Amino acid sequence: MSRVTSIPVPALQSVVLELTPPNLVRLSGTITSKEPDPELTAFLRALQRAVLEDAVSELRVDVSGLTFVNSAAIRVFVDMATWVQREARSAYKLRFLTNRRVTWQKTSFMALSSLARGVVVVDHVE
Amino acid sequence: MHGRSAVSQSALAALPRKQSVTTLASALALNSAQPLVFMRFQPAWTYINGVREFVSFFCETTFGRQEVADRAQVIIQETLENAVKYSDTSARSELELEIRAEDGKIEFSVTSLPDPAHVESLKAELTGLNAQEPEQAYMSAFLRASNEPEASARLGLARIRYEGGVELSLQEQAAGRIRLTAIGTL
Repeated sequence: MSRVTSIPVPALQSVVLELTPPNLVRLSGTITSKEPDPELTAFLRALQRAVLEDAVSELRVDVSGLTFVNSAAIRVFVDMATWVQREARSAYKLRFLTNRRVTWQKTSFMALSSLARGVVVVDHVE
Repeated sequence: MHGRSAVSQSALAALPRKQSVTTLASALALNSAQPLVFMRFQPAWTYINGVREFVSFFCETTFGRQEVADRAQVIIQETLENAVKYSDTSARSELELEIRAEDGKIEFSVTSLPDPAHVESLKAELTGLNAQEPEQAYMSAFLRASNEPEASARLGLARIRYEGGVELSLQEQAAGRIRLTAIGTL
């Protein structure tokens, strides 16, 4: 049984999380809290560990419905990529599904894919 | 829109490479007397979302372009976050937000009363930022965030400049107040 299915999905204030096993997580809404929500970061880290244990080849992160985030939230995605590179030894890819009409997504994931080449893949869903 | 304004580029080109951010501010400031928007409020995190949403609405309505509204959102969010985080906590501490537009250029400025220790680090951060092209500085900020996982993100100023398509400058004012200005093309 997939370990991903056993991860509890937190209910957060401004962002909705949807988890679809074996390897899709969708975030929608906005994230502008002063520090990244500890529940969000814990959920994503648990998901990353589960994907690694499940030996799935990629984790799909759909951020196309995330209309605005601050830099503290962008940091969460940087940390996800760094974790795959350093802790998971690039065992799987992070595929971000983005909306090219949303400015922050276009610029941030361009930078992230350049920073974590071979680990981060960016697809446009709109 | 990631390009810098022609005016900003020419103003920057005319300055020595290590020009102080204060002089840069006066070189780049718009001269229109009346701001399109002027707001004064306490430096509280809880106001930031509301102000950002208003400015986004205002820019989309006034300039008729979603792209300007999107850039404004980044500029407002990150400048206000920066001002709120480092503001003096006394009762006399207030933020002032002004938006001006003139001759195809737009200017956002936030005046605050910061903790004095923050002013020098902000000046150093801006000097480092302005020494690089916006995209290069943005990539450098991502790299730094990746290499320093325990430190704060410090992506905000690079983000304002690159995603907001503006140049940033700082003016020190009387009584310890500072004015952070972002100016770019409409």
